[in-house]
Amino acid sequence: MNGNRTSLILSCTLAVLLALAGCNNNPHPRPLREKRADGTPWVVSHLRIPDDPRSLDPQFSYDTLGHAVIAQIYESLLQYSPFKTDPYELEPCLAEGMPRRIKNPDGTETYEIRLKRGVFFHDDPCFPGGHGREVTAADFVYAFQRIADPAVECPVLSTLQEFVAGLGPAYVEARKAGKFDYSKPTGAITVRDAYTFQLHLLKAYPQIQYWLAMPFTAPVPREAVEYYNGKNGRDPFKFHPVGCGPYRCAEWARSRLIRLVRNERYSATRFPAGGWPKADDARFTSLAGAPLPFLDEIQFAVIRENIPAWLLFRQGYLDRSGVGKDVFSSVITAGQTLSNELRARGITLYRDVEPGTFYSQFNTDDPLLGKNLRLRQALSTAYNEDRANELFGNGVQLKAEQLLPPGVVGYEPGFKNPYRTQNLDQARKLLAEAGYPNGIDPNTGQPLVLTMDVVASGAEDRQRAEFDQSQIEQLGVRCKIEENTWARFQDKQINGHFQMNTGSGWNADYPDPENFFFLFYSKNVPPQGSNYVRFSHPEFDRLFEQMATMDNGPERLEIIRRMNGILVEQCPVIYSFHPVAFTLNQPWLARVSSNPMLTGGLKYVRLDTALRAQKISEWNRAPAWPLWTLGAVLALLLGYAIQWARKQNV
Amino acid sequence: MLNYLIRRLLYMVPILLGVMFITFALFNVVNTPTQMAYRILGPKASVQAIDNWLNNHGYLDAEGQKIPTYFNTAPGKSLFDSLYFRSMKRFATFDLGTSFATDEPVLGMLKRGAIPSLCITLPAFVVGLFLSLCASLLLVFVRDSLIDRWGAVLCVAGMSIPITVYVIFGQWIAANLLNWFPAFGFNLEGFSTARFIALPVVIMIVSGLGVDVRMYRAIFLEEVRAEYIRTAQAKGASHARVLLVHMLKNGMISIITLVVAALPFLIMGTLVLESFFGIPGLGNLMTNAIQTSDFGVIQADVYLGSLLYLFGLLITDLCYAAVDPRIRLQ
Repeated sequence: MNGNRTSLILSCTLAVLLALAGCNNNPHPRPLREKRADGTPWVVSHLRIPDDPRSLDPQFSYDTLGHAVIAQIYESLLQYSPFKTDPYELEPCLAEGMPRRIKNPDGTETYEIRLKRGVFFHDDPCFPGGHGREVTAADFVYAFQRIADPAVECPVLSTLQEFVAGLGPAYVEARKAGKFDYSKPTGAITVRDAYTFQLHLLKAYPQIQYWLAMPFTAPVPREAVEYYNGKNGRDPFKFHPVGCGPYRCAEWARSRLIRLVRNERYSATRFPAGGWPKADDARFTSLAGAPLPFLDEIQFAVIRENIPAWLLFRQGYLDRSGVGKDVFSSVITAGQTLSNELRARGITLYRDVEPGTFYSQFNTDDPLLGKNLRLRQALSTAYNEDRANELFGNGVQLKAEQLLPPGVVGYEPGFKNPYRTQNLDQARKLLAEAGYPNGIDPNTGQPLVLTMDVVASGAEDRQRAEFDQSQIEQLGVRCKIEENTWARFQDKQINGHFQMNTGSGWNADYPDPENFFFLFYSKNVPPQGSNYVRFSHPEFDRLFEQMATMDNGPERLEIIRRMNGILVEQCPVIYSFHPVAFTLNQPWLARVSSNPMLTGGLKYVRLDTALRAQKISEWNRAPAWPLWTLGAVLALLLGYAIQWARKQNV
Repeated sequence: MLNYLIRRLLYMVPILLGVMFITFALFNVVNTPTQMAYRILGPKASVQAIDNWLNNHGYLDAEGQKIPTYFNTAPGKSLFDSLYFRSMKRFATFDLGTSFATDEPVLGMLKRGAIPSLCITLPAFVVGLFLSLCASLLLVFVRDSLIDRWGAVLCVAGMSIPITVYVIFGQWIAANLLNWFPAFGFNLEGFSTARFIALPVVIMIVSGLGVDVRMYRAIFLEEVRAEYIRTAQAKGASHARVLLVHMLKNGMISIITLVVAALPFLIMGTLVLESFFGIPGLGNLMTNAIQTSDFGVIQADVYLGSLLYLFGLLITDLCYAAVDPRIRLQ
């Protein structure tokens, strides 16, 4: 009996050891194939996505997560050029050429667009025979109808209905009827032939071209929306995207994995014939005009926490990584270069300024701050942005001295804002001119009290709030901090129930100055728009209206310069920084484009699978000594227990 | 017995209504539906988009007016035509509604997450129970010795360290030192699923061991002083027999109450572990719902959690009566 038990224990231990020996630490599921049809290796890229997108419906999704995936599956009429980032430029994608702008005598405008032929939707069971049909003008009519459909909940309808004909009335009618009537044309698009259509605008709006590069206006096959209706065991359309982009969605295992596979019939774009920086000639010349995409499969692993994502990157199981706060100091040196250890591994660091601007806001409707220009200027002059950057931004953010970020038309490199370099003497002088010498309110004889709203969701937010408070209080003014949840903060911004707040900002929807200056246009005060500071300046408004509808050129640049000057002088906000993102690429993943606006850029990416396999095996050796140590410790314990038990005469 | 069962089932109704009342207050009064819509649609959402979202998610009536949270005092309306009572009516028929973030039926999401959660919690529970019983029996056996004192130190240390520390440390070891298992991830792939669950299961067992061992040790200590133990020893029973037959059997009466109450919760998964290991279970679902203000999922999860808790308590009482003949349910 005892012998049987011992052999059972031994065989169990052996089985466990064998199972352990057969284990590997690759966390990814197997690729769909091992080899391509021509026998060459099937190339898979493993990337992280920090959460599941809420939806992969191009007319609905409005977050970076969603767009990171959607932009590989759907393509639009235009796209951002992968290499032209200063300023950002558009180029045709599904369109044959850039849209032709027609100015009508009644002030309305029309854009005529011709489509490329031979662009097909992905093969999918929603089509007869499972073969994707050709993309035609009718698919764009349908896409614009979906934008106006209340059931789709398109988040940009409120902006587009201001400019695109017919969307607003179609939405109102559908809300009343409780259902959108897809048999009725909205009037937004007139089809000329299967490959040509006209988009009608209610007024001049050259920025429409940027919208034509976004997923909102991407063509969607009606068959797919009707087939994937969430009934009879089929997913709803938002979970089963069918587009015409370089990749099709092969699997979406919620909270785990989104697997994209190459669209074999993709033909809309090819690798650019030129335009890359001179230094990349050697890398790109041989690729000019090559068919896309290069990768066969992309696996987006849903990894919500930063620590495991970083571990997987270090093991080589992720091809790319950001640099989180928790690992920043071990990855980036004080000189903002890569640490020696990572450089020795062949990893490359990229530093990119994102098209956004962060700032603190003054409510210009506030009886105190709104009327007192000198007070706003004093507070702006007192604020030490460099110190804030050191303390809270690892010293890497780009200090903002103007509203427009780099890459946006109108950004002035080297521009010096007279109120954005800390100068306490100057600030005190301005404060005295504002009527509060040394921060004392002459009416009460007490320090002036300001209230600052902040979002406080953690220790760092509170430290940041205390720092902001100290910047104001160094002038002798008292600053009361009001901590809010994000939702409450947003509520106060919309209703104007704040005096000043910090931590606000704007990331470009599209890289046009209109998309930034509209935040200060008086007709955009909430609920109409996002002018949370309630800025109202007749000359600024006039210039905005003029600038918004102009084509780029010296005249427009001059207007932008004047608008920037007004904002600098009026100080409705204290500019903080333009965000800077760090990206790390593994040695086998060479970067092609640095354009943050080009979300669909994975089609240009190539990777060296042989080098990856070699490095992964180098970096993930499984040592046997912990096993032996564990065994020895257990044996010792067991021996001790047996001896002890004998002594106790159990 | 039957009367007792019916009475206990009826008690559940006010408790459930109360739990949901508080959840509703948190998500409709403290955090208004408009704020929730902003959380879900993002800071750039227009007023029109918010209004449309509220309408599509049942916060507006046919006239586009907001429906009151608890009681509808508008003239001509039923007092109970409110968000709270509408939800309660749904829950009474086990209609768990849809996610506010993705509009997916919550029932489907729960079904999808149950298996991955059980893959972790079930083995961790069974092995953890076995190990903590063994360890507590051992500590009782060597009570007041050096091993017992060091055991107490280890247990208290184990209780005091947050599970996040175990997770981060465990993943660091797995990824930097051992490279035997994936440091992250989950894939239901038959037998080799084991390589994904090994690390989280070990962490769950280790992190729970301290509490359980101290608790069971205290229970067994009560027993070890009982007269029947002295009798057994006086009759010459070996230490092993006294521990494993006499004491374990009687100590289990108290332990069953703890264990059975925990059983229904296995299906709910673990919040931190699932999130850090990317296990697509119910704990992960709940963490994500809280982070994204997905009230549709949260209220269904709270409802289900409360229901399981109440049933757990009921089953515990029934088991208690079944194993201990001195207890009668009245």
